[in-house]
Amino acid sequence: MRPFKTLRLATRDYLHEWQMSGCFILALASVLGPMLVLFGLKFGIVGGMIDQLVQDPRNREIMPVGSGKFSAEWMTELRKRSDVEFIVPRTRSIAATIQLKSSNRSNIISMEVIPSEAGDPLLSALANGPDGLESIVLSKSAAAKLKVGVGDEISGSLVRRFKERKERAHLDLRVAAIAPADAFPREAAFTSVKLAEALEDYRDGHAVPMLGWKGSVGTKARSYPGFRLYAASIYDVANLHDGLVDLGIDVRTRAADIELVQRMDRNLSMVFWAIAIIGLVGFSLSLGASLWANVDRKSKELSVLRLVGFRTGDIMWFPMIQAIYTALFGWGLAAAIYHAASLTINDMLASQMNVGQQVCDLLPIHYMIALGLTAGSSIIAAALAGLRSAKIEPSEGLREI
Amino acid sequence: MNNEISPPESGTLIYHLRDVIKTRESEGVAFRLNVPSLQIGQGEKIALIGESGCGKSTLLDMLSFILQPSEVGSFRFRPKHSDEKKKKKNDDESLDIKRYWDRGKQNYLGDLRRHHIGYVMQTGGLLPYLSVRDNINLSRHVLGMKNDDSVEQLAKELGIHHHLNKLPENLSTGERQRVAIGRALAHNPSIVIADEPTASVDPFAAEKIMSLFLELVEEMHITVIVASHAWQHIKRLELRRLSHHTRRSEDGSVTETVVKG
Repeated sequence: MRPFKTLRLATRDYLHEWQMSGCFILALASVLGPMLVLFGLKFGIVGGMIDQLVQDPRNREIMPVGSGKFSAEWMTELRKRSDVEFIVPRTRSIAATIQLKSSNRSNIISMEVIPSEAGDPLLSALANGPDGLESIVLSKSAAAKLKVGVGDEISGSLVRRFKERKERAHLDLRVAAIAPADAFPREAAFTSVKLAEALEDYRDGHAVPMLGWKGSVGTKARSYPGFRLYAASIYDVANLHDGLVDLGIDVRTRAADIELVQRMDRNLSMVFWAIAIIGLVGFSLSLGASLWANVDRKSKELSVLRLVGFRTGDIMWFPMIQAIYTALFGWGLAAAIYHAASLTINDMLASQMNVGQQVCDLLPIHYMIALGLTAGSSIIAAALAGLRSAKIEPSEGLREI
Repeated sequence: MNNEISPPESGTLIYHLRDVIKTRESEGVAFRLNVPSLQIGQGEKIALIGESGCGKSTLLDMLSFILQPSEVGSFRFRPKHSDEKKKKKNDDESLDIKRYWDRGKQNYLGDLRRHHIGYVMQTGGLLPYLSVRDNINLSRHVLGMKNDDSVEQLAKELGIHHHLNKLPENLSTGERQRVAIGRALAHNPSIVIADEPTASVDPFAAEKIMSLFLELVEEMHITVIVASHAWQHIKRLELRRLSHHTRRSEDGSVTETVVKG
């Protein structure tokens, strides 16, 4: 029953002294608000940048140097490794081109063919990948040059010299999707492995029955000169690199770039943690100091409550309840300040960021952590101050003024 | 000195103190309050008269359990019983306050104060965020007593009923003291302790408030102890005056007040 009475009295006091309470709330928000903005910036900019660097598939690519002879089975084995995210065979680069023509453009454009399949890190942003012998994905620049969009029909063709004669084969294709500009900078068509193989077979003079292309029929086991390999994360690249080198396969990676990214990640995180810790300490001290001072200011009133018979425990709740109010309202105001600041910052820099990327960003969990820290340190400060004032003999508190 | 009314019989004592000493020291000057023996009977009206700084407040604070004595021979308190249940339980024995102090039972002493003691401070002591009504009602509120018209009744008798909904800051000093008296009486305590309740009010108003206060106390059969630095205007009110004697040691380092009664 008495805790409820304390709650009522503390609330009435808090409202009665609304100017003082407002000052405490403002003081808290003015420290917490900028802290939230700082964290939002760290999380938005640095987090986003690091994410981008860490996630960028090009940093995870492992490219074989020169050409080798790799079997499909060997690649299947490699795919099973946990540090491998994606691997598809490449056909010979000289055979991996196709000439495309759209109804919107008169010229025929020749572009490279990149074998792909579901899970291709370069195409991870797309809903549809290349599929079967008809469906392909164009790079952004290829689509621009052909003036085509998703779902458009285009015709492909390729030429070979067969039995001293120049032959041209045609096939109908459909644009399943267009890869974003940063996935692949040049003009290229992502096709299924099967289509890339068909193109190579035709150029080698073999028949491709599925497309109705005639030629020699052979049953030679296929081997590939190269592969497209991506490690699961940038941290797996070095290990994968060493494994392949041990097998006598010379590969190239962006290890140096990765090292740079990792170092930057570490250094920036350190700088931000240093700022954050200094900020947090300052924040806790200012909050603690103001709550402590407040309890001191109120010691006479608290003594009066003891005089009318409130117990020590009830008295301690009094400043704690008020500290909780200050923490809640201060946090709310700080969140509003942060919200306004982040909207402004994001709006100002929107043109320089990728779509969906935020310069200043916080997740709901961050708000909750801020509230937890604020309420926690407020309650501790108020409880310590309350305990101190509860320990003073009431007669002393009463005669202070 | 002025013992016109003799001390009560021991059976109805509300306070019974023996060899209670409080020593304080500040800036090299020691102050010592010595109470070799003090007996206050139920329903008595006691006056504690003396200059400021002679130890009146110290004694009153000890009697209301908000200040712990330095040494205690014996300190017994026997509240009057407001209901039958408590009567059965505590009738035969008074409470040994010394024991609660020794064991640091501040909360128990707080409970005793809440039930049995009303305290009127020299100034202030009202909660600025509560209306006059809620300030008077506070002593009842903490005891969970039901709201009846007793606060209004008391306010009427104290002449402050038209201020009930105001905040203390809108009242004069004299009116605030009346509110403080109201709060000290509202829960019908065994004893009311008043530390110079009219010292901050002009003498004319002071006399009026004091008479009103003592009238109410008598009407409600509440024991009262009033401290004052002026004997003149409470002389007529038939209070038993406690004898006290202050002396200073030759080198001036110790001031001792001895209170008996």
